[in-house]
Amino acid sequence: MTSDNDRRRGLLARLRGRPVARSRGRRRLGAAVRLTAALMLAGGAYTVFAPGVQAQDNPPLSAAANEGKALFDVSCVTCHGRNAQGVEGRGPSLIGVGSASVEFQVSSGRMPMARQEAQAQRKPPQFTDEQVRQLGQYIQELGGGPQVPQGNLREGANISTGGELFRINCSQCHAFGAGGGALSSGKFAPSLKPASDRQIYAAMLSGPQNMPVFGDNQITPEQKADIIAYIQENLKGTQDQGGFNLGRYGPSTEGLAIFLVGIVALVFTTLWIAGKS
Amino acid sequence: MSTHTGHPAQQGPEPLDLNDPRLSRFDIVQEGARRDDIEIVHYEPQVVAGSKAERRLTRTVAMMFLLTGAAATAFLIIYIWWPWRWEAGRGGDKWYTPLLGLTLGVALLGIGFGILTWGKKLLAKEVSIQDRHDQPGSPEDRRIAGETLLYMADELGVKRRPLLGASLLAGLLPVGAVAAAPLVGGLISNPHKNNQMFTTGFQPQDGKKIRLVREDGRPIRPADISAGGQLTVFPGIDGGVSNKHADSPTLLIHLREDDAQKSRAANQRKGHGDYMWGNYVAFSKICTHAGCPASLYEQQTNRLLCPCHQSQFLITDNAKPVFGPANRPLPQLPIEVDEEGFFVAKSDYTETIGPDFWERP
Amino acid sequence: MKRRKFEVAALPAKTAGALDDRFQAATPLRKVLNKVFPDHWSFLLGEIALFSFIVLLLTGTFLTFFFEPAMTEVVYNGSYAPLRGTPMSAAYASSLDLSFDVRGGLIMRQMHHWAALLFMASIVVHMLRVFFTGAFRKPRETNWIIGSLLFWVGFLAGFTGYSLPDDGLSGTGLRIASGIMLSIPVIGSWLTSSIFGGEFPGTIIISRFFIAHVLLIPALLLALISVHLGLVFKQKHTQWPGPGRTNENVVGERFFPRYVLKQGGFFMVVFGVIALMGGLFQINPIWYFGPYEAWVVSAASQPDWYVMFLDGSTRLMPAWEISIPIGDGYVIPPLFWPTVVLPGILVGLSLMYPFLEARRLKDYKHHNLLQRPRDVPARTAAGAMAVAFFIVLTLSGGNDVIADKFHISLNAMTWAGRIGLLVVPPLAYYLTYRICLGLQQHDREVLAHGVETGIIKRLPDGRFVEVHQPLSAADGHDGHGPALDYVGWVVPKKMNRLGALGPAIRGFFYPIEKPAEAPVSPGHPPVEPRPEREEIGSGESRR
Repeated sequence: MTSDNDRRRGLLARLRGRPVARSRGRRRLGAAVRLTAALMLAGGAYTVFAPGVQAQDNPPLSAAANEGKALFDVSCVTCHGRNAQGVEGRGPSLIGVGSASVEFQVSSGRMPMARQEAQAQRKPPQFTDEQVRQLGQYIQELGGGPQVPQGNLREGANISTGGELFRINCSQCHAFGAGGGALSSGKFAPSLKPASDRQIYAAMLSGPQNMPVFGDNQITPEQKADIIAYIQENLKGTQDQGGFNLGRYGPSTEGLAIFLVGIVALVFTTLWIAGKS
Repeated sequence: MSTHTGHPAQQGPEPLDLNDPRLSRFDIVQEGARRDDIEIVHYEPQVVAGSKAERRLTRTVAMMFLLTGAAATAFLIIYIWWPWRWEAGRGGDKWYTPLLGLTLGVALLGIGFGILTWGKKLLAKEVSIQDRHDQPGSPEDRRIAGETLLYMADELGVKRRPLLGASLLAGLLPVGAVAAAPLVGGLISNPHKNNQMFTTGFQPQDGKKIRLVREDGRPIRPADISAGGQLTVFPGIDGGVSNKHADSPTLLIHLREDDAQKSRAANQRKGHGDYMWGNYVAFSKICTHAGCPASLYEQQTNRLLCPCHQSQFLITDNAKPVFGPANRPLPQLPIEVDEEGFFVAKSDYTETIGPDFWERP
Repeated sequence: MKRRKFEVAALPAKTAGALDDRFQAATPLRKVLNKVFPDHWSFLLGEIALFSFIVLLLTGTFLTFFFEPAMTEVVYNGSYAPLRGTPMSAAYASSLDLSFDVRGGLIMRQMHHWAALLFMASIVVHMLRVFFTGAFRKPRETNWIIGSLLFWVGFLAGFTGYSLPDDGLSGTGLRIASGIMLSIPVIGSWLTSSIFGGEFPGTIIISRFFIAHVLLIPALLLALISVHLGLVFKQKHTQWPGPGRTNENVVGERFFPRYVLKQGGFFMVVFGVIALMGGLFQINPIWYFGPYEAWVVSAASQPDWYVMFLDGSTRLMPAWEISIPIGDGYVIPPLFWPTVVLPGILVGLSLMYPFLEARRLKDYKHHNLLQRPRDVPARTAAGAMAVAFFIVLTLSGGNDVIADKFHISLNAMTWAGRIGLLVVPPLAYYLTYRICLGLQQHDREVLAHGVETGIIKRLPDGRFVEVHQPLSAADGHDGHGPALDYVGWVVPKKMNRLGALGPAIRGFFYPIEKPAEAPVSPGHPPVEPRPEREEIGSGESRR
């Protein structure tokens, strides 16, 4: 839904012939504020704990993780704290969440969050794939945790098994057509339409926000591949057989359609038939 | 008084002689209308024969009929030759059904609007007036009908021969019951046969505890579910993973440490102290409201939402309903791990599964 | 012997003669052909329901050739790969075959479903027309009752049909239905067990619903529709007030030739619209829902729109349980009130309404003339209240979809529905009542002072006034004619409406052309009023 909004806003802006002034400007502003805050925090911390910083770096980080740490200290440290220990009331600790969680949250643009709200929304990502990998590497080396494997994530998948697993594990929240659904008190299960293979895999592995965790013991990597194939190839890939799918919202939009299309068309016909000519 | 037959002789100026050779067909039609108490007060052809307007309208209507023919032909061609089968990898053809609908719809609309235009534009406009004649029957007729019915009662002698009436009633009552008996007797089914409303597939059989299994029948080890994860489990019996045991599906949840503590404390309060195993809890997946699978588990808030009527249950408080129309907590399944390391149900559910009913204790 | 010559031209007449010899059909036929029907667009709404019922019979018959109403478990092996190898009921497998392996089966299925939605929608729209115009008054109470029953029987037809494919969505609906039956005090569990042949879902319910859906309910619908139409025919259609129209006559067109063409054409249009929707809009894609399994559900599980108000009332109902502490204790669950009691009240109210209104107004006269909704503010407002009630419930039936797509909290939606159900209907009553009174007053004003012309004139003393065009001829004393009486029909309120009686719809589809020249065709001689009845349409003069 969010991505829809963004796309629509983008289209509107393009039609107007201007760049996406507002949102991008705001995002830049936000980034600047965060940057300043981060710099001040880092600077302050440095003067107080100058000797300690060296001491905490004892496990040597790989080159990628070092790059990731630099990004983290600029963009994430405000909420997740130094060394990803978490900040009370602002952001949880990231120790042990693994690169899967980072990959899901950052590559789908959910993190960094624009503001504190019931649930992080999908946004255009702020980091390149390479930067996401570096951030993930940093968090992974800090505290370990689940990782999304490399390579083709739906190799040799069986769509039929995937469908069975999708219906039993996923459709109750994400709906039969993967369009998403409401949860309690403003939370929601997002639409899976914009999600990439890696994001779906990472989400199952890490259980972002209120989504339950589907570890590799529960749903094996092969089964995960089946589910991803079912979502990507059947729900998104093949077209609907019976014409325009009305958004796949179930009977709600069908009921709307019979009044807005069927009844309206026929009432106009009756007006014409009985009209004086 | 006007009569229902409305013979023209009583009203019209003079009865028409239908054999008069000078009469046009319209005259005869009009005479027929007159006999039905219809007066055609306005009759106005809309187009002049041979006029430009008539030719234009004729062309329009003809075009519509020809469009119908073309669309119907297109329908047949598409129906027969368009590739339509669902094939693995390619999927079905997304155009087949829409094209059929389009051609069929256009064909039907063509003939429909053709006929409508023909009737509406080319036929003469008219205003006719017909008498309703919806007065009740004359008092005499009413009287006669009533007396005739009463006369029948007299003839039968219902009053004079009460035995006949009573015996007829006594005879007919069992006959009515005979008509109803096979229907009721055939359909009726005792809901409490085998105590089926109060037991599930987790009822230990021959003293053997029932394993919890996945949808593919494999038993479950504690390590199979990560903290914050949930799994739908079934009784490990024959037909356990099928609609035969529609009341048995259960949600097995691995709570995080602090949530598990809350849950354990709540269990203690309810006297269900030994229902959990470690940080694992198992609740019925069948909503106590209307029976949908309540399975939208939010792992941070520990709420379980039912997608049908939005009842929300708090897992860490004995699955107590906290919002929506459900009035009863989800029943909890007491679980433990057997010597082989697989989850089993300690006993059957101790509360009734699924929607409430009158005699639920 | 000479063979008699066979005359082809005389054949129709001879056949007709032979038929009349045997069946005496000529006189009744003349009466039927000569029946006069009043013409108004709103009188065609019921026909939409009738015609979609015919389409339902046609498409439904096709579907029965392929559907297998059995719950025996089979393993699907049809064309649709994503379900291949899945165990499912024979009913679901045959529904999938209808969608993927029967050529043109999908469009038939979709047309059937759209026709069902249209059937129910047009019943409701038709019913609103009848209600708001007072067409249900004496002598037509019986037809109103039959119409109300048609809605509820159609409701059953829809629900049994919705349950047949045995996919995930329909099975969930069936599960809820079983929960509703269970909630009935005292007999609930026995009733459910008897209908399902044991514990839910059992193995027989699909076959039972099938015979109800294809035989019992359609037969009942057919019978009710026949009586409904028969009564319309016998009692003759109501009409709007207007020049020449009285309580004792019908002004309109004869059945033959023009009216029957309009009906036939309209049937084709309804059929065409259903075909277009059936082809272009996907409905109930059962293959995404999978087979019904008691542990599988999709977010946003909803019934079809005409059941959604009951789903809504169920969602809004607070968790009030009544327990009766006798013996082991008995329960009346909260599900009972919104799903059994509420529809019971609604059926009762709808059946009783004509009698309630007649009693309240002490009006026991025959009424063949319709009323404009504004002229009966109390009824119109009550109707608006009912509609508001229905809409709040229906929206609540889809409140999870609304919450998700418009980013509203689900719990807030439920509360909005609960409060809205109490607040919106009375508000609708009040507003409608005031609007009706306002419209009435405006009508009277226009009749008294004329139509606003939009021309502003400045008087010599500096005041500005708008010039009104009086509706009656000026009688010379102040430029105004005498105030006209209101006759229950449209008052022209714009200059371009002056002189037009019906709503000015003409010109919407086609440019308005000059009227045809005076009729001179010998086949259609101009009709002159018969001398003794100069004034048209006053049914009294006939007596």
